[in-house]
Amino acid sequence: MWLETVLAIGMVVSAVFAIYLKETVSSVLSLSTMMILLSLLYFSLDAPFAAIFQLALGTGTAAIFLLAGDTLTKKSNEKTSTKTMLLGLVVSAFLCVPVLLGTVTTQSFIQSVELSLSSALWDLRAIDVLAQGLVVLTAALGVVILLKEERRRK
Amino acid sequence: MDYIILSATILAIGIVGLVTKHDLIKMLIAIEMITAAATMNFVVFGSLMNDSLGQAFSILALSVDACVTSVALALAISIFKRLNIRDVRDLSELKEEPTEQECQTGEEN
Repeated sequence: MWLETVLAIGMVVSAVFAIYLKETVSSVLSLSTMMILLSLLYFSLDAPFAAIFQLALGTGTAAIFLLAGDTLTKKSNEKTSTKTMLLGLVVSAFLCVPVLLGTVTTQSFIQSVELSLSSALWDLRAIDVLAQGLVVLTAALGVVILLKEERRRK
Repeated sequence: MDYIILSATILAIGIVGLVTKHDLIKMLIAIEMITAAATMNFVVFGSLMNDSLGQAFSILALSVDACVTSVALALAISIFKRLNIRDVRDLSELKEEPTEQECQTGEEN
């Protein structure tokens, strides 16, 4: 119980700082912290596959993409002032109150039929997985076209 | 812990960031936050119902989220290379000035 509360508070604080901080690198680091805490929450909820995917895609890939985007575009010289940091702390403390107050039991409320992840993914949602492969390929094609057009323009 | 309150709080923070920030990368960070809050519900409800389908949906959602981030970032880089701007407010300069004929048609309507 206390672990989940600590993770929830950490997530809210890092989410607020990801938005409030002016330096993009610090914002990305805060977002990564939030994602790491979220994957730990998934582990505590007995969802290891979702936690690993969150760690790999949500934390690793997204952070690399965002940092690469920041490097490739213009950097602003804005620095976060102490006043903004304090304001962020106050806002995050305020936002933690409903999270702390909303403590209810997390016991399973429905006893459903046990379904393994592989059968859920490959039997029940097989068409979704195929469609998702199409989405990934389309996204890759879109990125290649966008960046190639830019190179041709140069 | 009521995870819906946590999810709603993170969703609200993400929406506030999306509305108030004008930097393209910051807006992407806010979008990441919103999708993470939405995906959390799949895992939480799947875990509460002792069902792996929630995990399967979260895996699909995370993969699509990574695709969305990559395309959005490619667009941001393309916009920066072409116009040398990172602030979305400057993108309003792309709006065309209405012609005299369009102004007259608008007044008649």
